[in-house]
Amino acid sequence: MAFNYDKYLRVNKMPTLWCWGCGDGVILKATIRAIEKMGWDMNDVCVVSGIGCSGRFSSYIDCNTVHTTHGRTVAYATGIKLANPDKHVIVVAGDGDGLAIGGNHTIHGCRRNIDLNFILINNFIYGLTNSQTSPTTPQGMWSVTMKQGNIDPTFNASGLAMGAGASFVARESMIDPKKLEKILVKAFSHKGFSFVEVLSNCHINLGRKNKMANAMENLAWIDSITVPVRKFDALSEEEKAQKLPTGVLRQVEQPEYCDLYDRVIEAAQGKGAKITRADFDNKI
Amino acid sequence: MGTFKTENPGNQPVWVNTNNCKACDICVAVCPAGVLGMKYNKNSTLGAMISIDHPESCIGCMECELSCPDFAIYVADRKEYKFAKLTDEAKERQAAIVANNYMSLDQKGAK
Repeated sequence: MAFNYDKYLRVNKMPTLWCWGCGDGVILKATIRAIEKMGWDMNDVCVVSGIGCSGRFSSYIDCNTVHTTHGRTVAYATGIKLANPDKHVIVVAGDGDGLAIGGNHTIHGCRRNIDLNFILINNFIYGLTNSQTSPTTPQGMWSVTMKQGNIDPTFNASGLAMGAGASFVARESMIDPKKLEKILVKAFSHKGFSFVEVLSNCHINLGRKNKMANAMENLAWIDSITVPVRKFDALSEEEKAQKLPTGVLRQVEQPEYCDLYDRVIEAAQGKGAKITRADFDNKI
Repeated sequence: MGTFKTENPGNQPVWVNTNNCKACDICVAVCPAGVLGMKYNKNSTLGAMISIDHPESCIGCMECELSCPDFAIYVADRKEYKFAKLTDEAKERQAAIVANNYMSLDQKGAK
């Protein structure tokens, strides 16, 4: 008896619509294994996904799911979490969904530090629209909208989340699913906005024209640009510019938005004191 | 289409649901012990299908199951199957399979 996937997935939707070797399937598997480790009941979990290949996530996982409009995942999830603070909300977005069209929602979710688990699947390209340039496409790579080579500077997604104030930020690739599962368990256990950037492959739409036409070549390239965070600090400045650190990049305790909102409700009902500046004096 | 086949089909270390498999080679690439290989199959979309050539070498590391994007390959629980130790012969076979473009060693030519 292997791991019981029937319990966590919608069996009649299989096989998945993703291309062969797509990292999204590995991330879906790591997610359900992390949910199993957390011991959550699937009735208490809500998965919110947007548009793109990552949007299929909510179709396959068998819990409460919302397949929302493009980029608006965090906005929907914030509403779901505020209405049901005792439920666990997992948001899944791709790099185009979460950083380009939904970049605004992402940074404000991070700023509020609401207890969402945000999984950003970064495959460096818009895969569903057949390789348009995304905010994370590396400079110099071919894409349909940059046929002479991409000139746009790239986004550092985890850096953006840290700057916007997320209290848990991690980056991991899907090459080592065991590590990814551990990071997801840490993210799910954390109270506050957990931002997990998962580097994934798209050998079909990114790889084919960039000399990595099969999954293993694309994964080898991802492996070559990542380095564990404890080794990253020892690198020289030039090497740091070429590499992305993986692992937990930030984990701090901050006031969580649902808790603060409960105090607003109590104050409005006359059961508690109004919130004053003194409550936040240690944080400007 | 249909259910996963997570029940062990009978004292096997590793088994495959060929309905879900898309022949992406990832499980063959991550196996440390040369257990798996691809075989030509004209009914498969990509022209090949996974086959389990050396189940006796399986060390139960779970790499293939965890790395499979399509929920197609399963590894037995450590309680129900006694796995082998990693041998040099198995490592050499794995290197030969990777050099053979992830095809089983009795299969010749490019996929």
